[in-house]
Amino acid sequence: MTPAEVAAAFAEGAVVLDLRPPRPFAAEHIPGALTMQFNRADLGERAELMLPRELRLVVHAEPEPIATAAVEILRGTGFEVLGALEGGLRAWKEAGYPTESLPLIDVDTLHADREQYTVVDAREGFEHRHGHVPGALLFPPGEAWERAEELPTGTPLAVVCGDQTRSAYVASVLRRHGREAVLVMGGMADWLERGYETERTTASA
Amino acid sequence: MIFKQFRYEPLFQASYLVGCGRAREGLVVDPIADLGPDHYVLEAADQGLDVVGVLETHVHADFVSCARELAEMTGAPHYLHEAAQGLVRYPFTPLHDGQVLTIGQVEVRAIHTPGHTPEHTCFLVTDRARSEEPWAVLTGDSLFVGDVGRPDLLVGEDELDVYSEAERAELQFRSIHEKLFTLPEHVEVYPNHYGGSTCGGVNMSGKASSTIWFEKRFNLALAQPDVAAFAAFVRETAKPFPERYQWIKSYNLGLITREELEGAMRR
Repeated sequence: MTPAEVAAAFAEGAVVLDLRPPRPFAAEHIPGALTMQFNRADLGERAELMLPRELRLVVHAEPEPIATAAVEILRGTGFEVLGALEGGLRAWKEAGYPTESLPLIDVDTLHADREQYTVVDAREGFEHRHGHVPGALLFPPGEAWERAEELPTGTPLAVVCGDQTRSAYVASVLRRHGREAVLVMGGMADWLERGYETERTTASA
Repeated sequence: MIFKQFRYEPLFQASYLVGCGRAREGLVVDPIADLGPDHYVLEAADQGLDVVGVLETHVHADFVSCARELAEMTGAPHYLHEAAQGLVRYPFTPLHDGQVLTIGQVEVRAIHTPGHTPEHTCFLVTDRARSEEPWAVLTGDSLFVGDVGRPDLLVGEDELDVYSEAERAELQFRSIHEKLFTLPEHVEVYPNHYGGSTCGGVNMSGKASSTIWFEKRFNLALAQPDVAAFAAFVRETAKPFPERYQWIKSYNLGLITREELEGAMRR
């Protein structure tokens, strides 16, 4: 799809699914885009688990072979996929369309400024129970779309997972629901490496 | 570290993906056109990696490279040893002996090993998440499992060949003994070819990996006592030349187009 076709679909309620890695996604993406990690083994399965069926999707992945493969996988899983953005973000911007970014923080910033954030843990219950950032709310990606409204308001949400894969998806969902969210790069792997404290009691959102 | 060997069995060719799962970046080494740039992009994406560099151990003569296409598709630099300057007719990012590319926790060090070709370079891989010790070396067409890369694949033009067959044999012998066999013996060996490949001789193993320890003890070509014996042994144990290797080499050097190459291959 040309940028103009994507913009038209977007105006009619289609959602851009951005399959680039978290860092380039965070730096710049099509407004309102959701992001997930691509791979051929289980993209379909994860999309089924995480995305509402009724979404009409436009795929954004670079380079093009990934977009082609993703469209096929998602259609095979039963999603309505309108197509893939041709020419990537460069073509989108050259056509004059806007982009937005997702703020990133590292674990040192999260550790230092923890009171400024509500920490959202985008892992599964068993991982959260094993140890999480003190006060972090369990918020698995499979429930993010349904439960986005339940999170406390008033403070920005800092989303964390094992690294930054599931947290990027959850942050993109929360931002789509109008919430202010930042992505914690490096996630629990970096948090533990620094030796920062963890907590084992479970608080639910 | 993510480390994956891709084997293209019809040509007994091995290419590689080396990357860091935490940095989510990877390097592709010696990509082959028969698999194609899409193959490498998708394989890297399956591992969660962006391709941030395309490396070639040397300009190949027995298979069509897709390094240029892959570099263009991904926007990643195409690396060759600096000795390829003046030989290839397209832009690339030159590597010098000892240069290190760092991908997250993974380090890839260029070791210039002229012999099979003047620009031939091996890539020593260290996973610093595990140890500061190197773990594997991608040996291209220098050290094979059980054999060595042949020194006689010449285009027939002095300015492109740079060295004669005899000079290449001597360089190959010295490069392997002085630069590879001096590596820690635990280092794993991952060649560009194996088995029936015509880039080496009759003693090439069908097994596509080995170690420095094993090859130092059991590689027949490298057990020869001196350069003269080595050159004679390599000549006597050579296989037939790879099919249309001068045309393939000319394409990989950027001297002819893909269409011209395909025309020649059909003849």
